[in-house]
Amino acid sequence: MAISSKSGSRWLALVVAILLLATVWYGWQRYGNPASWSFDERTLIASLWIENLPPLPPDPTNAVADDPRAQALGHRLFFDTRLSSNGMISCATCHQPIRHFTDGLSKGVALGMSKRNTPSIVGTAYSPWLYWDGRKDSQWSQALAPLEDPNEHGGNRLKILSVIASDSAYRSAYESLFGAPPDLTRQQDIDRAFANAGKAIAAYERLLMHGISRFDAYVAHLEAGGDSLDQNFLSNNEIKGLRLFIGEARCTECHNGPLFSNNEFHNTGLLSIAGETPDRGRIDGVRTLLADPFNCLGEFSDDSIRACSELRYARMGAELIGATRTPSLRNLANTAPFQSKGQFQSLPEVLRHYNQAPPAMIGHNEAKSLGLSNWELRNLEAFLHALAAPIAADQYWLQPPPIE
Amino acid sequence: MVSNAVRRYFLFAALSLLVLPGIAHAHGGVVDENDLCIINIGYLKARFKIYVPQQTGHDEYCEDIPVRGESVFIMEYQHDGLSEAEIDFRIIKNVTGKSTFAQLDDVLAIDDIDAVTIHYAPPRVVPDVFTLLQSFDEDGEYIGIVSATRTDTGKVYTTVFPFEVGYIGAGVWPWLIAGFLVLQFNYWFMSRRRTKAAAIAAVILVVSALQTGRVVADETSWASKAGYFQVQYASNLEPIVINKIHSWILQVESADGKAVTGAEITIDGGMPEHNHGLPTLPRVVEELGEGRYRVAGMRFHMGGYWELRISIAAGSRRDDVLITLNL
Repeated sequence: MAISSKSGSRWLALVVAILLLATVWYGWQRYGNPASWSFDERTLIASLWIENLPPLPPDPTNAVADDPRAQALGHRLFFDTRLSSNGMISCATCHQPIRHFTDGLSKGVALGMSKRNTPSIVGTAYSPWLYWDGRKDSQWSQALAPLEDPNEHGGNRLKILSVIASDSAYRSAYESLFGAPPDLTRQQDIDRAFANAGKAIAAYERLLMHGISRFDAYVAHLEAGGDSLDQNFLSNNEIKGLRLFIGEARCTECHNGPLFSNNEFHNTGLLSIAGETPDRGRIDGVRTLLADPFNCLGEFSDDSIRACSELRYARMGAELIGATRTPSLRNLANTAPFQSKGQFQSLPEVLRHYNQAPPAMIGHNEAKSLGLSNWELRNLEAFLHALAAPIAADQYWLQPPPIE
Repeated sequence: MVSNAVRRYFLFAALSLLVLPGIAHAHGGVVDENDLCIINIGYLKARFKIYVPQQTGHDEYCEDIPVRGESVFIMEYQHDGLSEAEIDFRIIKNVTGKSTFAQLDDVLAIDDIDAVTIHYAPPRVVPDVFTLLQSFDEDGEYIGIVSATRTDTGKVYTTVFPFEVGYIGAGVWPWLIAGFLVLQFNYWFMSRRRTKAAAIAAVILVVSALQTGRVVADETSWASKAGYFQVQYASNLEPIVINKIHSWILQVESADGKAVTGAEITIDGGMPEHNHGLPTLPRVVEELGEGRYRVAGMRFHMGGYWELRISIAAGSRRDDVLITLNL
């Protein structure tokens, strides 16, 4: 009797000890302080800092890219609903300044439904490729396509040019930038004037840049020698998320640099959406781009030496099957739903997908499954929210221009 | 104890031999080759798979589709010929009376094929990968008919593959469950052995990774595989950072240190750990004399371990140099 009761209390003690350890472990996981950063981690963190964004590179294909007159003209064109077949659609219909120049929908809706999710415009002046499938290689050339897409503006270049010709403010701005109005009986003149309208819109879009987020303030604080656990910038959970982001979660393999994007194309094994076959992505995008008369090598590009290094050395090949462009991660809260077809409504869905990394329907999923716990995914999500920031442009540019 | 386990293992293995042929029957042109589902259209091969994304997500089927709904048929070409061929794809109700054993002759014997057709995609050239969407509203037996017409010779290759939607065959489930159990038992027995093998493989991987790391350090001159050439490179972007297009100058020398001129050089590369290549197609744009060549269009889009293969042909000699770098 005595012996069995003694062994019974021993068991009890063991169980209590295990429970205690589990509680301590849980508490540490949940509320414990993150470790401080190593030198390599500090370097990686600094590489994501907005202050390390190089100056905006010139766009040699667009002679008016940095001309204030073109910015003003582009600003007006961007918000002008007359540039559509029903007089109700402007660029800002889908690219809404209040939603970080996106529309909050899985796929864009204008006259009809667009093929893909509306990407943000902010910071795209840094990207050699535009659109999810990279079928455009400049902001101005991209700006032309929706104007003539029957599901978007539904116009055509003659109609766009007639709007410009019929508005005296447009006409004088156009002529001061590009010279005499086009001869509308000559196709080449029409195409050139149409490209010019895109170049003015691009001049406006170049002004839209990412502002300073809480993450950037944290890096500034670190760079100034501040305490890495200072809770005034990032919470402990966000710091843990940052550690995962640059480490175990392997996010910086594609989401690198101050814009959190390598602007390249990757297949990440997304499912096709109802009613559609899988998105072929860049493999078709690069072919469309090479055949596009409005590309960098085309006759409407202002680059006199046609350097076009990105386009000339663009890669083809099977690894581009189902690959789409890496989007920036700044301002995710404003840019949901996510992915090229808006497959995911929320960040936890996105993170679960990358944690799992299932084989791709077409092509090859480059991502590897991560095996992160739910806590880790939550910390990662917390960190991603710390990348939100207002747009670094004067409020004047974020609303329609005053009527002249 | 051990002999008992071994005996049991052989019993299950023997059983699985009996059961498996019942499940893994090939349906016409679609066959299971080394765990890969393959469609053979004449001599032209493609990886074949079917998804029902809205119902069963990432689950992949080889021929029979367990649920009704919107199915995506996919053929990923393993043969370039398919990228240039005109492909047409037809799905009909299986009215041949031959169930899963229907063949091309049985299909040709159907009087009015259009009357039983539920989907027809007319011939067209689709590069790289073919996809097709078809909603199945009812369970049943169907036949897929795929033709590839070579645009150069005009020759037509056709294959048929019978399949079921919703597994209507009564006898399938018991067989499937039995097969699954057998496979599972096999797996349990095998995995005991595998743990050891996996541990050894992991050790080998770690050791080789450490060695790779060592090889990368501070190399300035790179010798070609057969030792014919030596290559040094200088980048106009120093240090090399990611996401920036730049150019290199290659200095090519023979094994005895003489400059190699007039060489034909091609560049390729990628990240072996990620199974992808360079984001660009760099090439030699200028020979600068004294064995120096300018390579334009260099860009790396990820940090990490990169390999570049420089293929050099000069005179009668042809050799490859592997340059590695950590970014």
